[in-house]
Amino acid sequence: MTEYLVRRVLQAVLVLFLITVVSFGLMHAAPGGPLKVMLSPGMSPEAQLIQMKNMGLDQPVYIQYMKWVGNLLQGDLGHTFKNNVPVGDILWPTVWNTFVLMSVAWGLSMLIAIPWGIYNSTKQYGLSDQIASIVAYLGFAMPTFWFGIMLQQYFAMQLNLLPLSDMWTMGKEGQLSDLILHLILPVTVLTLVNIAAYVKYTRASMLEVLEQDYIRTARAKGMKERRVIFRHALRNALIPVVTIIGLDLPTLVAGAALTESVFNWPGMGRLFVEMAVAREYSVLMSITLLISLMVIIGNLLADLIYALVDPRVQLGRKGGRAA
Amino acid sequence: MKKGKGWLKPLALLSLTGALLVGCSSGNNASPGTATPAPTQKTVEQVAPQATSTDDEKPVDGGTFTHSTTSDIVTINPIFGNDTASGDVMEYTQAYLYNRNPSFDLAVYPWSLAAELPKVSEDGLTYTIKMKNNAKWSDGTPITAEDLMFTINAIKTPETGSPEITKYDKVKEMKKLDDYTLEIKLTQLYAPFAFGLMQKLAPAHVLKDVPFKELQAHSYGKDPAKTPTSGPFKWSEWKQKEYHVLDANPDYWGEKKPHIQKVVYKIYADQNTQVQALMKGDVDLVDSIPVTQLEAVKAKGTINISTEPGPSYEYFAFNFDKKNFPNNYGLFEGQKTRQAIAHAINRQGIIDNILKGTGKIMDAPFLPGTWADPGDAAVHYEYSAEKAKQLLKEDGWVAGADGILAKDGNRFSFEFIFNSGNSRREQAAVVIQQNLKEIGIEAKPKALDFSALVDQYANPGKFQVLLLGWQLSDPDPDGISTFGKKAFPPGNNAGWYDNPKLDALWEKAVSTVKQDERAAIYKEVGKEISTNLPYVFMYQYGTPRGMTSRVKYKDEFKPVSMIPYGETFGFLNWWIDDTKK
Repeated sequence: MTEYLVRRVLQAVLVLFLITVVSFGLMHAAPGGPLKVMLSPGMSPEAQLIQMKNMGLDQPVYIQYMKWVGNLLQGDLGHTFKNNVPVGDILWPTVWNTFVLMSVAWGLSMLIAIPWGIYNSTKQYGLSDQIASIVAYLGFAMPTFWFGIMLQQYFAMQLNLLPLSDMWTMGKEGQLSDLILHLILPVTVLTLVNIAAYVKYTRASMLEVLEQDYIRTARAKGMKERRVIFRHALRNALIPVVTIIGLDLPTLVAGAALTESVFNWPGMGRLFVEMAVAREYSVLMSITLLISLMVIIGNLLADLIYALVDPRVQLGRKGGRAA
Repeated sequence: MKKGKGWLKPLALLSLTGALLVGCSSGNNASPGTATPAPTQKTVEQVAPQATSTDDEKPVDGGTFTHSTTSDIVTINPIFGNDTASGDVMEYTQAYLYNRNPSFDLAVYPWSLAAELPKVSEDGLTYTIKMKNNAKWSDGTPITAEDLMFTINAIKTPETGSPEITKYDKVKEMKKLDDYTLEIKLTQLYAPFAFGLMQKLAPAHVLKDVPFKELQAHSYGKDPAKTPTSGPFKWSEWKQKEYHVLDANPDYWGEKKPHIQKVVYKIYADQNTQVQALMKGDVDLVDSIPVTQLEAVKAKGTINISTEPGPSYEYFAFNFDKKNFPNNYGLFEGQKTRQAIAHAINRQGIIDNILKGTGKIMDAPFLPGTWADPGDAAVHYEYSAEKAKQLLKEDGWVAGADGILAKDGNRFSFEFIFNSGNSRREQAAVVIQQNLKEIGIEAKPKALDFSALVDQYANPGKFQVLLLGWQLSDPDPDGISTFGKKAFPPGNNAGWYDNPKLDALWEKAVSTVKQDERAAIYKEVGKEISTNLPYVFMYQYGTPRGMTSRVKYKDEFKPVSMIPYGETFGFLNWWIDDTKK
């Protein structure tokens, strides 16, 4: 197990390194740099050169990259070009804001979707199953920003029940009740999309397991249906579901740019789009790094949870009996 | 030379989402009085700002005004901040030496730092500026000639990296005559210098010991706690990417104190949400309402809308460098050919149908209504396919087998580029393509990412035709940095336009100090440039602006669309009336 973890961590470091090299290179290769976005067109070439030097953009890309890595290893994410603010000052608050939004949506969708999916697998093509299908179609087919706008129109504009946008009412920062009111609409949007996926996965996975011989055996032994479902079927059925959920983990910080924009949620998805337009390399690199890290952690966690839900999976054994 | 014209930044990325929500109804008012539309068109009435209060209503003190935006500031240090958001926040927090008046000229108001208009010596080389002697920074330090001298010095020094550097590059020396009087000597006669004095100051007592090259990294202008301000409002709080809180400075030095006690500058990621917030009453001012949502906002009834165009214009720029065309055959060599294209494009039609009336035809690169506007001296090209065809014929173009005109074996076919994401420009491009097709010209529109367009096409001057806008944020009308030979790429003259007669006129105008003599020269400029046509000047344009009806002002203090930051002109005289809510 330890050996396995060490190997995975070493792999992760290598992957992260490659990701940073590639994204740094691509970003600098893209036409139009931060200077192009910032400079006033009439500026003299000498003044432009001074600006470039101030920003360190006059150096070759590999030197810029090495400097960036050097600073990163000392915990310095860099500064923005535009107003020289430390990247962390902008980034960490948005990461937290996104985490609040996404974790509520994520938690809620699992709480609803997994039990619902299990229930539907036992009552295939029943009313509840049909409803789930409709929800899934809607969730997949509706553009999230559009659904968000519709909810805003009805609940915020016409009924005037809920706030239109933002995370807090100004002056009420830190009040839980205020936060909850602001969470309702965006969480509804995000949850619907997640539920659509999770219900279908859970149901499909359960149905597959329920057809297995050992389930038939269990039933033949006269075991109670409850016990069959929860004891024998569920543990196996959850493995693919865990994979999906693990892969979704990075969205907890990456956020959902469109939903955040529509609800003016001060999160990271929005920040990423904004910074990409402004070509703020250090912010973009930090976000890329953070998301990559979450992808790696998400995968690792999914693997570890396999071992928990399915004892047959033994981590770290090559060519073992693992399914 | 920076002449205050910035490449217009593309509209907020997500503005597209706005288009989905509200279908446009076709209830536009037809008004026969405006311009000269083709007979089949409906002309959309332009709505100018109106007073929202009668003369007998008395202002009340208090209340919060919420100004909304789609981008955050860079800094409120006047040496560096020259983007719209920074400018907005500075309008409330930093005082100008001289303000602009509604006709875009230098003016002294109770809220200006100057005591009187600058005195200019007979030879036009020496400016004497007298400042008020009671002005104070919000930390209590007096505002003096020292601050002015420091600000000009910092901006003109290249190490500082100020984007405004060209405003003061002709300053030779400065001398303090007393604590409140500064004498500035120029290296050469240069009339636009006076307009450069519409300047907000940086505090010498905070920054004078900071080396110039470290000024940009300094916390002044970025940290509210370390940023004393000179204007009526203090900068109390900045929540990055979310909002700014500006509180009325209780010790403000100006004679006229603001009625409104608090301004919130609130940032939205999405234009649609911003407009919804206006309708809900979460915000009081939206600078640009997408035209697709205009009807819905109007229907709400509680929002005052203005559709007067702002200080920007759209242009269709020809490239005169033959290397950009097949066989090195410059398609736009003939003056008549260019004039034909000007006749062929239905500019009023675009204004009415795409800009929904928020535009006004322009024939020369001067803001209509300002002192330099050449008015009728500029040639007007009315929409007429017949005239266009006639001119093309005279210039030797003959229709080929495929219906496209040709001359000396060269087809009249070109590509015109513009930035993607600006839905109005995208729609206008389609109309232009159609209009030109009608007269036998094949014009192929191509949308490109803004930054790439500037970097790879406009700056190196490599394109055939460029459809873009200029912002005339500098009050001086000088245009040599856009049309002169010395502004060849990578300068602003991206189309390699070379007209020695015009260059001479521009030069003459900036070395003439008397404004009426300058205006006469600009009449000649207007005539020459509209005859010769480096561009087809399309129209002055803007975006509709909306303000909640709880904001009250009298006629003399109403918003002015045409000058930059004019939407809050007279803000100190505004008040909030919540009684009728």
